[in-house]
Amino acid sequence: MAAGVAAWLPFARAAAIGWMPVASAPMPPPPREKRRGQDGLIILNVSGTRFQTWRNTLERYPDTLLGSTERDFFFHEETNEYFFDRDPDIFRHILNFYRTGKLHYPRHECISAYDEELAFFGIIPEIIGDCCYEEYKDRRRENTERIQDDEENENNKDLVLPELSFRESMWRAFENPHTSTMALVFYYVTGFFIAVSVMANVVETVPCSSGPNRAKEVSCGERYALAFFCLDTACVMIFTVEYLLRLIAAPSRYKFVKSVMSIIDVVAIMPYYIGLVMTDNEDVSGAFVTLRVFRVFRIFKFSRHSAGLRILGYTLKSCASELGFLLFSLTMAIIIFATVMFYAEKSSSASKFTSIPAAFWYTIVTMTTLGYGDMVPKTIMGKIFGSVCSLSGVLVIALPVPVIVSNFSRIYHQSQRAEKRRAQKKTRLARIRATKSGGANAYLQYKRNGMLADAEEEASKEAGKSLVCKINPTFETQHHHLLHCLEKTTNHEFVDEQTYETNCMEVSLTKPSMSRSSSLSSSPHGLSSCCTRRNKRKSFSVSNSNMVGGRRGSIQELSTIQIRERPMSNSRSSLNAKFEETLPLNSEEQSYITAAVISMPTPPVTTPEGGDSASSPDFLQSNIVRVSAL
Amino acid sequence: MSSCRKRCKREILKFAQYLFRFITGTLNADSVEDELELSAARHRPEALEQLEAQTRFSRKELQILYRGFKNECPSGVVNEDTFKEIYSQFFPQGDASTYAHFLFDAFDTDHNGSVSFEDFVMGLSILLRGTVQEKLNWAFNLYDINKDGYITKEEMLDIIKSIYDMMGKCTYPTLKEETPRQHVEIFFQKMDKNRDGVVTIDEFIDCCQNDENIMKSMQLFENVI
Repeated sequence: MAAGVAAWLPFARAAAIGWMPVASAPMPPPPREKRRGQDGLIILNVSGTRFQTWRNTLERYPDTLLGSTERDFFFHEETNEYFFDRDPDIFRHILNFYRTGKLHYPRHECISAYDEELAFFGIIPEIIGDCCYEEYKDRRRENTERIQDDEENENNKDLVLPELSFRESMWRAFENPHTSTMALVFYYVTGFFIAVSVMANVVETVPCSSGPNRAKEVSCGERYALAFFCLDTACVMIFTVEYLLRLIAAPSRYKFVKSVMSIIDVVAIMPYYIGLVMTDNEDVSGAFVTLRVFRVFRIFKFSRHSAGLRILGYTLKSCASELGFLLFSLTMAIIIFATVMFYAEKSSSASKFTSIPAAFWYTIVTMTTLGYGDMVPKTIMGKIFGSVCSLSGVLVIALPVPVIVSNFSRIYHQSQRAEKRRAQKKTRLARIRATKSGGANAYLQYKRNGMLADAEEEASKEAGKSLVCKINPTFETQHHHLLHCLEKTTNHEFVDEQTYETNCMEVSLTKPSMSRSSSLSSSPHGLSSCCTRRNKRKSFSVSNSNMVGGRRGSIQELSTIQIRERPMSNSRSSLNAKFEETLPLNSEEQSYITAAVISMPTPPVTTPEGGDSASSPDFLQSNIVRVSAL
Repeated sequence: MSSCRKRCKREILKFAQYLFRFITGTLNADSVEDELELSAARHRPEALEQLEAQTRFSRKELQILYRGFKNECPSGVVNEDTFKEIYSQFFPQGDASTYAHFLFDAFDTDHNGSVSFEDFVMGLSILLRGTVQEKLNWAFNLYDINKDGYITKEEMLDIIKSIYDMMGKCTYPTLKEETPRQHVEIFFQKMDKNRDGVVTIDEFIDCCQNDENIMKSMQLFENVI
């Protein structure tokens, strides 16, 4: 049960009054208040340091030592306080957990000491808040590596996802290739075709050895034009299909079309289609050739396949301001130096510095320390300014580069940490869920122990048995009562996953028979689904008036009763039975009986009511019994 | 047309600003610019004496209630998301958010989007210490989603569906599509005396007072605090 909101349980129970007018069944009686919880102060003496808190604060987490009756073992009568012989410094954090609901890890503490305290007080470390969890985990890992313990095997089972529609599963397959084999195959196939297409583009331009009777060399592309064309067509086919599939599967088509990757995809395949559409016109063929340049954008499609490439792109995007600044300052410097060089070299004859824009080229080449040497200053002033230019060039370029590099490094490490955290989170949540579902299952366990029986039945039943039952704290009983009320309101019961699955399977098996009988039953209990359990029978007395009539004309059917353990009863005579009195004997070790529809035309008269409990032993031995209508 | 132009102008201005920041290298200032987070409205409840007079709780009970309330919501008010979160923790198997939404609307009597401690305690006072009439009134108010004084079948269907949602998937027998609808039909058959398709407050209260089960269950949570 989720901790920390125990204080709100009274509110949740009060709100349950909202269900009362629509309840289909009478409500169970409330649990007896075993202890009028006085809201008093509790004194916790931890090795001499006294902590005080409200009793309710501690009881917020009933599955820990301090919140349960386990603390009574540490009660010290003489001083009327609870004494713990543990470390008070660490205890402070533990008590804060009760107070605030968040567990923190103090960085100066030793990790194993902290772990021990947590274990003693019954708190699972996974509850540590996000602020301290990473540190905690890192320290813990270091520690285990240092003492070379066996690493605990992290349970990395994939979460069971709910049923996804085809479209959703397709999208998931596209986004995350590791989800299924098909997705992986698709991923590698597209990657392969991207590589092939790019290689084809490159090889196309390589000059192939021409035949002896040809004057000039032709590129391979022109020689094997047909082959390259076919290859190109195939690649574009694949890319088009991929794009269309992604478009169909995308949850938000508009967002998908706007995204960078889809634009790259479109740009990669557009030239081909445009080439197909355009006729072999002389003037446009030049433009067509230019379009083919865009085919190189296919290489960007690799960014779907490589996380590093994506990070690089993201870095560039996030460093956009640094890049912009670099560009702007370079432009400024270029203009300044080009002007100066132009005027300095104007006097020299036959100088290459014919205009300021022409001097731009010299300035850029010099500032980036390339120095091609196609333009050199000849005058002394020109040489002086030229050297100033190259020195300042080094500075201007060197400055923003570390910023960009550090940005990249930060983002890269961030993404790595994100991956790590994601992996940790899964296990963490799984562990927390396991302990929590212990709580959810606690309710089912509670039911199975027959705790929901009436008080006097319970007393009489257990008088003769040494039933060891855990004394549930008040909070849990109240919570279970609340859940029980909900069950009564809706007339459905909570079951665990397993039973639900098996129910579903049987339901699907007996579907044909059920579809017929579902039309018969008009009550919401849907007798048509499964057999009845003890407590359901109680509700029949409320609304059986329309049931009987409906049943009369029903069709005979053969149904399979599958009985798990000791069976409770059948539904044969369920209509008119008032079983409350006759059933107390079966309340222990209740299990779920799942029976398919037993839609009997049995006139209520002939079915023995009292004999039902007698007939139940018959089924003790058998597991599967075929029952035909009487 | 003028709005279009205004938007255009705004976009151009934004683009110019972006360009400027691009050149001067201060683009990242965008993220640094902290938008003043709407600090959670702090709310202090009325004095203890006043609440004692207005509700039917004793001083001690109010103290306990407030401590629990304040612990979960230090700012003194609950907004709908926190409310849903808290309520959902009691029903781990299903989805309690829809019902929590209706509850929130029922508790938030002044419809200002948040439940203060006064709202909370007033609601609880009715539910736990009120007369049967008041409780039924409250329930009617809960079901009447648009607060027009009538419960229609659609409203009831929403409420019932939200209750069934709380059960979750793993129920026995398995929940079917028509179960909530059938439930609504039964409810209306019982409550709607004059068959006009809506249930008014009088029909509701009348019918509930004649139903023994409902009467008994209303007394169920008397001593919850």
